[in-house]
Amino acid sequence: MMHRFFLKLSQVFAYLGGLMLTLLVVMTCVSVVGRKLNDLLHDMVADGNMAGLAQALLDANIGAINGDFELIEAGIAFSIFAFLPLCQITNGHASVDIFTSKLSARTNRVLRAVIEVVFAMVLVLIAVQLSSGMFSKLRSGQTTFLLQFPVWWAYALSLTGAVTAAIVAIYMALIRIMESLTGATILRDEMGAEH
Amino acid sequence: MSDLAIGIWSFPALLVLIFLRVPIGLAMFVAGLVGLMLVGGGPLVPFARLKSETFTTFSSYSLSIVPMFLLMGHFATLGGMSQALFKAAQSWIGHRKGGVAMAAVGACAGFGSICGSSLATAATMSRVALPELRAYGYAGGFATATLAAGGTLGILIPPSVVLVIYAILTEQNIAKLFLAAFIPGLMAALGYVLVISLYVRLYPKSAGTRPRVPYGERLKALFAVWPVLMVFITVVGGIYGGIFTPTEGAAVGAFGTGLIAWVNGGLNRSSLAESFFVTARSTAMIFFIVLGAAFYNGFLALTQVPQEIAAWVGALGVSPWLVLILILVFYLILGCLMDSLSMILLTIPIFWPVIQGLDFAMVTMADLHAARAAEALAKGLSLAPDMLDSIQATLAQGAELTREQIRALGLRGVNEGALTRINIEQTAIWFGILVLIVVEVGLITPPVGMNLFIINTMDRKTPIIETYKAVMFFVASDLIRVVILVAFPAITLFLIAW
Repeated sequence: MMHRFFLKLSQVFAYLGGLMLTLLVVMTCVSVVGRKLNDLLHDMVADGNMAGLAQALLDANIGAINGDFELIEAGIAFSIFAFLPLCQITNGHASVDIFTSKLSARTNRVLRAVIEVVFAMVLVLIAVQLSSGMFSKLRSGQTTFLLQFPVWWAYALSLTGAVTAAIVAIYMALIRIMESLTGATILRDEMGAEH
Repeated sequence: MSDLAIGIWSFPALLVLIFLRVPIGLAMFVAGLVGLMLVGGGPLVPFARLKSETFTTFSSYSLSIVPMFLLMGHFATLGGMSQALFKAAQSWIGHRKGGVAMAAVGACAGFGSICGSSLATAATMSRVALPELRAYGYAGGFATATLAAGGTLGILIPPSVVLVIYAILTEQNIAKLFLAAFIPGLMAALGYVLVISLYVRLYPKSAGTRPRVPYGERLKALFAVWPVLMVFITVVGGIYGGIFTPTEGAAVGAFGTGLIAWVNGGLNRSSLAESFFVTARSTAMIFFIVLGAAFYNGFLALTQVPQEIAAWVGALGVSPWLVLILILVFYLILGCLMDSLSMILLTIPIFWPVIQGLDFAMVTMADLHAARAAEALAKGLSLAPDMLDSIQATLAQGAELTREQIRALGLRGVNEGALTRINIEQTAIWFGILVLIVVEVGLITPPVGMNLFIINTMDRKTPIIETYKAVMFFVASDLIRVVILVAFPAITLFLIAW
């Protein structure tokens, strides 16, 4: 029951991150096409080839999307933070397990619990420091260069993913602690991530 | 303890953590955090760095190419392009001895040209090709080994996620690296085809035969792969031609493959969610390693360890080639234990300064003069006849131009600094391709190669020991290729302009 909730939560974030990624992909394509059209129209105006129409289209602001670079940077950070919880709950992180496979099941369970606890601590630390980073950007009122939107917005968006990742990591750590105390396997491993 | 000693002790500490199955990204992160505390005298410095460092690492324009390429690879799978490629390759060469296996390699190469990851290529192509291979009487271990090896083409043939990371770490041009990977990638595919034809002659029972396909059907099957070709040419050609940045290229590729998947009916609500989940897991894994590596490397840089090691190796006075070979052997061994991306992120910050400090005599001053003079003359520069003669005489001797000759040609920026930059870039590209190949060999080296495991999970009937036996032939062909590419840097570099 609990597990279903956390898995669903992680999936929702992964889905949102995927939607953001798709949005960035589409926006980048539109921007590339716009930039190429803009070059073409400028050439047409220069060559006097349907110059009136070309100029009219140029005046309608056909061109690269202003600040596409900044939007990608802000959006992709959200996507990646939003991807973290799913990786956490499905054991997607890359590790080397040929040496530990020789150890006893009990040792492995304890080892795994310790690792998950450290992981949770690190993700909590990351979320806490990110929020403190966000507040300092909020206070300084720093904005991006082209679009002039406050930098703290991007931080705040990312923070939602970072906090969720920290919560999921704490949940996983608790599961692994329970496993090492009771000696029973609660969650099976899934296959390694494809990359 | 001095900072340098702390830096050096962090290596064994990190290795112990990794071998205790601490996720590699976490191990590097913790090692970097503890190291920074020891060097900086407390948690204040590393904690302050964390306020912005995670965000800036994840909000990188150049790294955003990674999730986009991953999404593109998954869309390519959904679009049925793996089937189309395999069918086309099979219809042309399937009837030959070992032809279905060769077709699988060909299809892997084709799929690799739109997918930047090795495991994804191996998994996707296995789903398509394994049943066919078994149906035509190919031995289990031979079939799985072929697909495991073919999968490595996913990362060798551009686009390649690992090359993107290498390019960012060594501050090199992604487009040039992609271009440089092209010929070694084709050599790999060719080498695997040769291995297959050798294998079926050694073990004739390991492969059955398949009837010929009429030419009309062959052409039809070939025509069906045009979307793959179009996506590849748009993405790699566009990036190389400077039409768009690598990130934009990845976005265009993801859009294109997504569109094809949608048109072919492979993209619906549930498969889209599945693509997001797979992309999410891989992306999060990669970026957590990138974050850990950024933190650990930040700490190492502070302790001066990379510079000290590079200086130490330089002072040893051993042949640069020996150093290179030792590094490649190290990668081969480590590659049996660790995935390629972690290995690159872990080691390149240390090995690259070492390699950069060595002189492989890629380009000499005379080469540079000759190339720039040829460019100037090709532009239709008019010179006094005697000056032109003397310049041509100098170039014919393979000597450096004199000051007067350089002035007459109006050459700018032909100096030691330019030569060093060119040599560093050439070395970086060549070394990157070599490293890429040796880390990929690790993916198919028994007993722990990851491609072998992936394919083993898809074909439970074949004992993994059978795969181990057959894959050694492919590993041998990889090693021969590495030797050739080390001995002749020009094979990798001759497409790269300087």
